[in-house]
Amino acid sequence: MTNSIPEIRDADMLFVIGSNTSEAHPIIAMEMKRAVRRGAKLVVADPRAIWLTKIADHHLQLKPGTDVALLTAMAHVIIGEDLVDREFVTKHTENFEAVRDAVRDATPEWAESITGVPADDIRAVARLYATTKKAGIYYTLGITEHTHGTDNVYCLANLVLMTGHLGVRSAGMNPLRGQNNVQGANDAGASPVFYPGYQRVSDPAARARFEAAWGAPLSPDEGMNLNVMMKAMGQGKIRGLYVMGEDILLSEPNTSKMEEGLNKVEFVVVQDILPTETMRFADVVLPAACFVEKDGVFTNSDRRVQRVRKAVEPPGEAKADWEILCDLARAVGYPMPHYTAPREVYAEMAALSDKFAGITHERIGAMGLQWPCPTPDHPGTVTLHEDGPLKGKATFMPAFYRPSEELPDDAYPLVLSTGRTLYHYNAATQTLRAKGALAKQPENFVEMHRYDARKRGLHDGQRVRVASRRGEIEAVVAVSPRMRPGCVWMPLHFPDQLTNRLTNDAGDVVTSTAEYKVCAVEVRAG
Amino acid sequence: MKVIIDGEAVDFELGETVLEVAQRVGRSIPTLCHEKRLDPVGACRMCLVEVQGQRRLQPSCTWKATEGAVITTQSQRIDTHRQVLLSMYVADHAVDDQGLPKQRGVGNQLRDQVLEYGTGPQLPQLPLRRAVREHDANPYIHFDAEACVLCAACVRYCDEVEAVNAIALVERGGRTTIGTADQQGLLDSSCELCGGCIAVCPTGAMTERPSLGIPPAPEPIRSTCNFCGVGCQVDLHVTDGRLTRVTSPPPGTTVNDGNLCVKGRFASEFVHHPDRLQTPMVRRNGVLEPTTWEDALQTAAKGLLGVKRRHGADALGFVSSSRCTGEENYLMQKLARAAFGTNNCHQCAAT
Repeated sequence: MTNSIPEIRDADMLFVIGSNTSEAHPIIAMEMKRAVRRGAKLVVADPRAIWLTKIADHHLQLKPGTDVALLTAMAHVIIGEDLVDREFVTKHTENFEAVRDAVRDATPEWAESITGVPADDIRAVARLYATTKKAGIYYTLGITEHTHGTDNVYCLANLVLMTGHLGVRSAGMNPLRGQNNVQGANDAGASPVFYPGYQRVSDPAARARFEAAWGAPLSPDEGMNLNVMMKAMGQGKIRGLYVMGEDILLSEPNTSKMEEGLNKVEFVVVQDILPTETMRFADVVLPAACFVEKDGVFTNSDRRVQRVRKAVEPPGEAKADWEILCDLARAVGYPMPHYTAPREVYAEMAALSDKFAGITHERIGAMGLQWPCPTPDHPGTVTLHEDGPLKGKATFMPAFYRPSEELPDDAYPLVLSTGRTLYHYNAATQTLRAKGALAKQPENFVEMHRYDARKRGLHDGQRVRVASRRGEIEAVVAVSPRMRPGCVWMPLHFPDQLTNRLTNDAGDVVTSTAEYKVCAVEVRAG
Repeated sequence: MKVIIDGEAVDFELGETVLEVAQRVGRSIPTLCHEKRLDPVGACRMCLVEVQGQRRLQPSCTWKATEGAVITTQSQRIDTHRQVLLSMYVADHAVDDQGLPKQRGVGNQLRDQVLEYGTGPQLPQLPLRRAVREHDANPYIHFDAEACVLCAACVRYCDEVEAVNAIALVERGGRTTIGTADQQGLLDSSCELCGGCIAVCPTGAMTERPSLGIPPAPEPIRSTCNFCGVGCQVDLHVTDGRLTRVTSPPPGTTVNDGNLCVKGRFASEFVHHPDRLQTPMVRRNGVLEPTTWEDALQTAAKGLLGVKRRHGADALGFVSSSRCTGEENYLMQKLARAAFGTNNCHQCAAT
């Protein structure tokens, strides 16, 4: 997030796209509700009539995977009606002309033919966004989990830049991070291309710095990202796997292909707190401590580094992940220092990355500490880019609409999107052991519009088969007014009837992030 | 602008209430229905003060400070009012054998205020006429009508903050209670089980069902929730080495402003679940068998080094976790890069 969570309540306009905030980020949704109560305008762009649409001024119910068309049409309106913040564009950006040319033909009427959103709604929202100063964009995986996810993000960034919504309180560009420490894991260098603090592995100076600090020669070659790694298992390029704290079999798309791949891997280590499906393929299982059993930090969506503190002992012989990783490093002959506590690990990382150099465990108070925080007396950074874009000039990136990888056809006529519900969490290793979550949502379901149900002779609560080109699972029909006709939605939480058997592992061109949000399926009586 | 509070001229900002100004300068005014996140309603009448020129006492939580207004927060008249009011609350509240409002494990501000300000006339105990939903099978939120003072903080939270309006004041007069549409269970209502009603309840009428009867820990441990990316701060209550309750730090002090969702507050049953992995395991003859740490680590090291020897370091993949701490992610990539020599390290939420 360029801005911070507590700023949301003061916004005058919220543009929520591809985020079911009230289910996936309930506490951020509370801030949004507060803003709306105060009089802020809320625009929700989502194929489903999610809860937030109840209090929204506009709901743009676009077809899944057509975000680029919608967003370029908004840019078309903003440029065409001369609502561009020229001063900001001149002073802080480059390449505006490319986007201007790219959206020239993206009329709202053209977008309506692709997205299904009325042209006048697109115009109204574009005007509202461009003319409101404190207008923030909030998005999450509904934007990124597409084969054109990067284009979606470019389009949003273009809107932010052309209207000068950067570096302004309660505005900005705000991806809401899906998990407790996505931000922190990236920050810490759990990335095939970055060392800690976003220093490129391909940069010889950065490499030299880390080689000196770690006392080992480092590879100059960029590594595989997760999606590539998963595919590489099937191709025999990845032969050994160390998995910490993720049930890859449940979480990655196209489960059957994942199983084939894992079968080809010669050696698998799984380190986790609870039994996972991936453990079926493990040669070694290492029992780990959960978050209440260890110390450390999590970094949230608004770059806020916060403390995690040990409250109880881990069960049996389980150990904290940081201890296990150190033990394993020593077992393979690497002289990992004998850290006595995670704060020493943090200090080592902070010393190697300017963004966190001023952060120590001791400094982190009740409100956390937001990076960039380069020195011990720096107060942290609430809003990014307040003095203009951090890198000097922000670059406009043109994008053009192209359809999703797999579109509905006669055999698989419905578009499936997937996501998280309020009650469960991702692979649900934790929440399937929570009574309330089970009482609310005990098994996998498929939300569909009543037209689609009726056409197939299905009724609410009926057990059905959902099939795609990659697999078939069982689920219960939930007839829902939230859906668009032609679209169905399923949660990804249930290991016995795994939605990811259906999803497509086709990835974004740049990030390889898989298209969890669009694939073609059919639903029929079980 | 200045308002006179107990003879002292105090600066205030337009829109501030007398309660806010008085609390800022250290006056102690009791409240039951007041809650920072909610619009003030002046329902409980505990915060009444004297305002010069007003015939009646006025609720300081809704009375706006005005230029030159003369406010008295402590007087015989106010004391008498509070004591009579507390007597009436006590008469309509479950009491212990000393006649004090019952302590239900969690805090009870009514009891605290009776102890601090005393009561007036001894009134006969009223029979309980507020209904509870006996059939409500929700596993998380317990409502104890005996302890309710009908301040409606829970109802207002459900409306103003969570905005799902699952609960409301239902029935009339002495039968008024906290209920749902048709008195259905919470699972069948629009309730999202966030438990905000529990957090704002002054008397413990709303409590967590899983920890019913277990008192809050005297010194809960501040930590960060392990679910989504909001980073809510949580207070972990530990009793006899077990996590018994998760509460939110007070509003205005952390990023979540006193709020939590159903997962953050309640979905911690996994922590002490019997399914937790407790011993290292190594696969022998196709079966995962318990073993020692030493053996598991040696086997893991040998296996991974073997792959590296046969196929090169880039045939190894390291999947780190956005569920683990920053330090652990740092160590995982250090392990991949420095100990094994590959950049094939990524985390699970790479989107």
